[in-house]
Order: sequence, then structure tokens, then C-alpha cells
Amino acid sequence: MIYPKTITVVGANGTMGANVSAIFASFGNATVYMVSRDKEKSKKAAIRAGKSVKADSIVNHLIPVDYSNLDECVKASDLVFESAAENLELKIELHTKIGKSLRKGTVACTGSSGLSITRLAECYPEVVRGQFFGVHMFNPPYQLTLCELTASPYSDKAMYADLKEYLTGTLYRTVAESKDLPAFLGNRIGFYFMNEALQYAERYQDNGGIDYIDSLLGPFTGRTMPPITTADFVGLDVHKAIVDNIYENTNDYVHEKFVLPGYVQKLIDEKKLGRKSGQGLYKLIKNDSGDKRMMVYDIKLGIYRDEIKYSFPFALQMKKYLRDGDYDDAIRVLIENKSQEADICLRFLLRYIVYALYTAEHVGYDLRVADDVMATGFTWCPPFAMMEAFSRVCDLGQLMKERLKPEIVNAVDIDHIIGEQIKSKYDYRIYFKAK
Amino acid sequence: MGGAQTDFERNWTKEGKNMIALLKEAVEDGFKDAGFTFDEMVSLNKDNRVAAFVGNFIAEQYISQGHLGAFLTEVNPAFYGVPSARYEAACASSSVALDAAITKIKAGEYDVCIVVGWEIMKSVDSKKGGDILGRAAYYEKEGKGIDLPFPKLFGRLADATIEKYGLDQERYLNALAKISCINYANAKRNPLAQTRKWFMSYEEASTRGTESNPNVGGLLGVSDCSQVTDGAAVVILCSEKYAQEKGLKDLAIVKGYGHRTAPLLFDKKIADNANSEYVLPWTRQACLDAYKRAGLTVDDIGVFETHDCFTSSEYAAISAFGITEPGKEWDAVENGTIAFDGAKPINPSGGLIGCGHPVGASGARMFVDLYKQVTGKAGKYQVKDAKNGMMLNIGGSATTNYVFIVGMD
Repeated sequence: MIYPKTITVVGANGTMGANVSAIFASFGNATVYMVSRDKEKSKKAAIRAGKSVKADSIVNHLIPVDYSNLDECVKASDLVFESAAENLELKIELHTKIGKSLRKGTVACTGSSGLSITRLAECYPEVVRGQFFGVHMFNPPYQLTLCELTASPYSDKAMYADLKEYLTGTLYRTVAESKDLPAFLGNRIGFYFMNEALQYAERYQDNGGIDYIDSLLGPFTGRTMPPITTADFVGLDVHKAIVDNIYENTNDYVHEKFVLPGYVQKLIDEKKLGRKSGQGLYKLIKNDSGDKRMMVYDIKLGIYRDEIKYSFPFALQMKKYLRDGDYDDAIRVLIENKSQEADICLRFLLRYIVYALYTAEHVGYDLRVADDVMATGFTWCPPFAMMEAFSRVCDLGQLMKERLKPEIVNAVDIDHIIGEQIKSKYDYRIYFKAK
Repeated sequence: MGGAQTDFERNWTKEGKNMIALLKEAVEDGFKDAGFTFDEMVSLNKDNRVAAFVGNFIAEQYISQGHLGAFLTEVNPAFYGVPSARYEAACASSSVALDAAITKIKAGEYDVCIVVGWEIMKSVDSKKGGDILGRAAYYEKEGKGIDLPFPKLFGRLADATIEKYGLDQERYLNALAKISCINYANAKRNPLAQTRKWFMSYEEASTRGTESNPNVGGLLGVSDCSQVTDGAAVVILCSEKYAQEKGLKDLAIVKGYGHRTAPLLFDKKIADNANSEYVLPWTRQACLDAYKRAGLTVDDIGVFETHDCFTSSEYAAISAFGITEPGKEWDAVENGTIAFDGAKPINPSGGLIGCGHPVGASGARMFVDLYKQVTGKAGKYQVKDAKNGMMLNIGGSATTNYVFIVGMD
């Protein structure tokens, strides 16, 4: 396989299924069978797919079908991509079915964000088992180019290399090779950060909680959106599924940071799942005159209240410097400001660098992958770029040893973890916003 | 000596950053590339040997700021006392700045000149932005009250080209679609291009009038347009004397330039071509002037950067450069001559369509790209055998025409 001309996407009516179909049909110039439970839903998904890559012309190459066509589509395809709901039983059923009609030479993959690739490979008859891979893209894939590629112990090495080349060269994906471990690379790092922010919101509920923590980890700290707002966008049910999976199936030095806080579970139980259900950690209210009001869940009071517009002196100063492009001065403020908020913020960033590199070392095959996943999957300032920003104004190793808790410094060999002098291919200046 | 451009994908307003941040990053990156330092600038300035030239079209409208030459003093105190001023000729603004800098060096006035082209455009919405750009035409007659005046003007250039050469409309439009595709494809190799993640195909570009590719100016669709963006490009030039003094070797050389101004009003511009074989005779003349000054011909040029604000302007540039005879431009498009791996590659950077068009920066950006190509520093978009490079930067509806030839000894 070098260049799949015909592709089947299973579960194509979901957001990811439609968006991935669009990537195959556009950059891949492939004919794509879009399989869902209902052909009408597949048709609507094809229109959405065209919009997702801003090219209606690709809709001509998308063929809406339903599950009754699955066998023939799989037989006719050079690549089959499963994008069904993140449920192991369902995926086992689907891959067992796909395995029955998969041709020799056709690539099969799952878009799973963290289930066991090895387990799913075992759904396939031995003769084609080597043709199965994990290909995890991030949403929306037209904007976020990250693609985590995972082999199983059965995988055909030549086919893996071909698939990697196809994803990189033809589909313009940023391929991050990951071991078959829960949540792979990007989500393990990103959801660690987001879940710890949720835990901190609970700990600092007397200071305001959710909006307090989000305000001190805003875009000026190297991201587009604050972490708790991001969790709200992702959906609390999805967030829970990811952190629970990591908590149950891994055991590293941040294990307890993957425990979902009780108030988040309570919101999930009340079906307050975040932006997609109208309320979650935040709640956007529109009154009759069309004015919008952002409300936030107050953990202490258990109710939604108006968002507090915090103005922490350290954050104001950082934003002022960033506005003029004075990055070194902004980082200096963060390091030197003695307020509780600056301290929380700085330690979050330092822990992020350490855990990103630790994860890249254990889950990836190359430390640089930590940069790729965070820059192209989350649009956060990636760890090596952030190290560069800090290293311009301080001895980063020394700073970590001074400011991080002994349990981290003792668990991780800081000198080793930041010892590799890797020049980031990403520019830290882009990520630190003056907002 | 060197130069740099900012990442044209960035939206500085969204990042919350101002023009000073933009200028700081561009100047620092340009200095770094050129091996030039602020300390060296301070030292040269003691003897009045260094000056700065700023190209910008219309910051007065986009960010309510004038007196732009003075703003480098906010970038670094090393600029205190360094002579600097702003130069303007619509989208060719930074070429005027380059021209002024080159002339001052040739005249022996300064030994090092810093040229900065920049524009912040994402500060306004596209409707307002289109109206602002109308000031690059005769605003009262060709811009005021017209939605997106420039796509319409270059749509008329398409009409005029078809009419002048009696072209088959479909063949012409398909050539334009291919030009668009080449620029998008080239941008994929350029890590600083605005559209490096975007999708474009021949099928999409040649199917105009759809929701994703609506007609925006006569026959032209969105796929035929470059897109505005925020950005800056910096060029550091030096005299031969300075290069010798510092032992700088293998520097790219400015070999020639052309500068011609065509009638401003589009109707007059087209009426003026009646006695020429060229649809844009003054654009052609600017190219001829540059060839003459450089003592070179089209055969000597290995790479081109042109002003593809619209596909119809790149189409006209093909014969203006002399790659084909006038009226036969489609041939160079169809047979791959202007493609990345063709004999006369145009816009390996992606051009305005692929790399992006922060108007006041585009001329300096093209110049930086010529420098990168002829010195072998273009990375993934490096063209083979590019000893000499040529650029065409236009202002308005091909009113101001600037051409530079940069090459190795």
C-alpha cells in the first residue's frame, strides 16, 4: 500500500468520522465509503465533511452507505478506518466484522483515543492481523494535524512504514509514533494538565475555584484556551472516560492526578456535560435582548454564578510585556512574582514540562514527539519550546528543583529529563498570547 | 546579508500583540539570520553608516497609526539616532523601501541598510479590510462603496486578457486554476506560509461558483485570490565596502531593478495597452529594465517570485518575465514550466496565494525568498540551480511595478 484509492470509514456520521472522511477525500484524493447506521445520516455527514475542509468538490468522492454495505465496502477498500464511539465491546464487534472481509494488503485502523490496539488487533484472523493499526487523529483534523500512530505486536513492519509515509506525505499529518499504552501520548499529557487544573479548582474553591484557576492558566501561559474551559469544550463525559482509563491502567508518579474530582462527577450525573449540553463547568446564558452572560459553576456553593473577572498583578504584567513582544520580561515576572497565583501558575508549567518529557520517554520512541503532540494536538506551547523560553532567563533545572514539590523531584530525575538539549522546531513566541 | 519573515499564519490581533511585538520579532530574526547585531548597529551609527527603511501601505486605517519610520526606536534602543522613514506604494510599499535603501548604499551614503516591510490586517473584518484596500486604486472612482473592489479589478484583468489574445475562456480559467494549485502546493513546503495546512485541488479551483469557491470578481473565484494576513519581512543590505571590511563572502548581490508606474485607473491602463503586445506593458517594461541593468536575460534566471495577488496577475507576469511570448502564457502553465520542478519555477514559497499577503510586507518577503533561494537556504522549498532570482511586486491594479534581480557572483 502506498496510496489508497478507496477507503471505508466506519462510524462516519460522527464528528470525527465525517472530518476524517474529509481528510482522506481531500488531501488523500480517495473515494470514501461513509458507513453509518443510517444512509441519510451518512449523506448529511458527507455535506459536513465538505465544509470541514472548505471544499465542496470533495463531496463528489464521498459515498454515503449504511452497515448493510459494510462487507462489500471493506472488500473494495485499500484502507478501512473505524471511527465508532469509544466503547471497547462495540469496537470489538465492529473489528471482528471488518476482519471477516478484509483483503490481504488492505490497511485496517481504529481512530480510538486510547483503547488497547493489541486487543483490537486480536479481533482479526491471523492472516490479516498484521494489517491493523491505531491511527488517532485530533478534532478538528483540518486544523489540528496531530496523528498518533500505534502498532500492535502483530503489525506488519513494512505496512507500518508505508502507512506512516502516507499519513505524513499525502495527508499532511504530524505523525507521533506511540506505544500501545492507555490514551497514547497527547491525551496522557494534556488530560493530566486539565484534570490537575480541575483538582486545583476544588482545592482553591474558596478563592473562586474554576474561574480562579482558569484565570491564572490563560492564553498568556502558552495556550489558546484555559484548561478547564478546554475540558468543558471536550465534554465532561469524554474527559472522565479518558482520565478513568489512564487511572485504571497506568501507574506512574502522577497517578493520583488522574482522579476525577467529585464535583465533576456530580455535574456528569446531572447531565451537565459541558458546552455541548449547554452547561457544565461553565454556562453561557443569553437573555431576551441577545446579551450573553458567562456563568461558572461555583464548587463551594454548588450553583452557577457570574464569572469573576480576576486581575492578578502577575498576569497583568505578563500580558503587558507579551503585548509588546517582550517574552523574556514576561517569563521573568512569572518566576519572580511572589503571589500565590504566580506560584500556582509557574508550578503548573514546570510540572507540565516534566510530565510531557517523562511521558514522551515512556510512551513514545523519541523525546521530540512531546513537542509534536502538544503543538499540533492541543495548540499549547510544546515542552521543548517552553524550556527554551525559560532557559533564556533562568537555570531551568535549578528552578524546577527549587519550586517543584519533593515528591516530583524525587520521582523524576530532573537533570536527566531536561538534560537533552533539543532545539524545538516550534516557536514559543506564537503560543504565549497577550490575553 | 540576510533577512527573515514572520510566520504568515499568525493573527497578531488574536494573539493580543501589537505592531511593536511584530517588528521586534521580525527584526531580531532578520538580524540573527544576517549575523548582524544591535551592538554593531550602534557602532556603525556613530559614523552615520546605517539607516532603516520601513515599507507599509496603510497602518493609518488598519491600526490608526502613522509616522511609522519612527517606530523602530521602540523595537530596540539601538535604533536611537538611526535615520529611518516609511515608504509607501500600496502593495509594493516594501519594494520602494528596498529601492531607497539600495540607492543610498550605491550612492555611498550608508554601508548597512535595514529594510522592514510589514502590515497588520486582521485587525478589521474582511468587508472593512476590502474597503481599506480600495485605497490602492483610485478610491473615489474605483473603490468607494464597492464591495471587495480588488477582486473585481483583477477579474477585469482576466476579461481583458481573454479579449486581447482571443483566448478560449475555459482554457484560460483552467490555467488560472492550475496556477492557484501550484501556489497552494508550493506553500505546503514552506513552514512560514499562511496556507500550509489548507486544502486546494484542481477540481476545487476549477469549479467556481460553489459555496466553498464562490465567484468574487467577475470570472474569478475565491481560489483565484490571495488572502490578506498579518506579517513582516526584514532585509539587511550592505555595501561592497562593508562586506570586504568584515570579510563577508558569498553574499547574494542585487543585480538589477526595474520601476515603472502605469496609469492608475484600470480603464486607462487597459486602453494604454492598445499598441503593445502585452496586457500590462509597464509591467513588462519594468522587467526589461531590470534585465538590462543586470546584464541578464530570462535564460539566466532560475527562480521567480511574483505578485500573484490574483491568479490573473501571475498569468500576466509569465510573459512579462519573458518566460513565454505574450498571449502564450497558458503554455508555461500547462506544460509545467512554472511548477516547482519546472524549468522556470514561479513562487516556490507559495507566493501571495500560498504564503499569504500582508501587503506592506510582500515585496520584502519576496526579496528574502530570492536571497534564500540563491544562497541555498530555502530548506524544503529550495529550487535547484537558482543562481539568479527575479521578483515582481506590484501596487494597486499593476500600477506601481517593481522588479528586482538578486543573484550570486
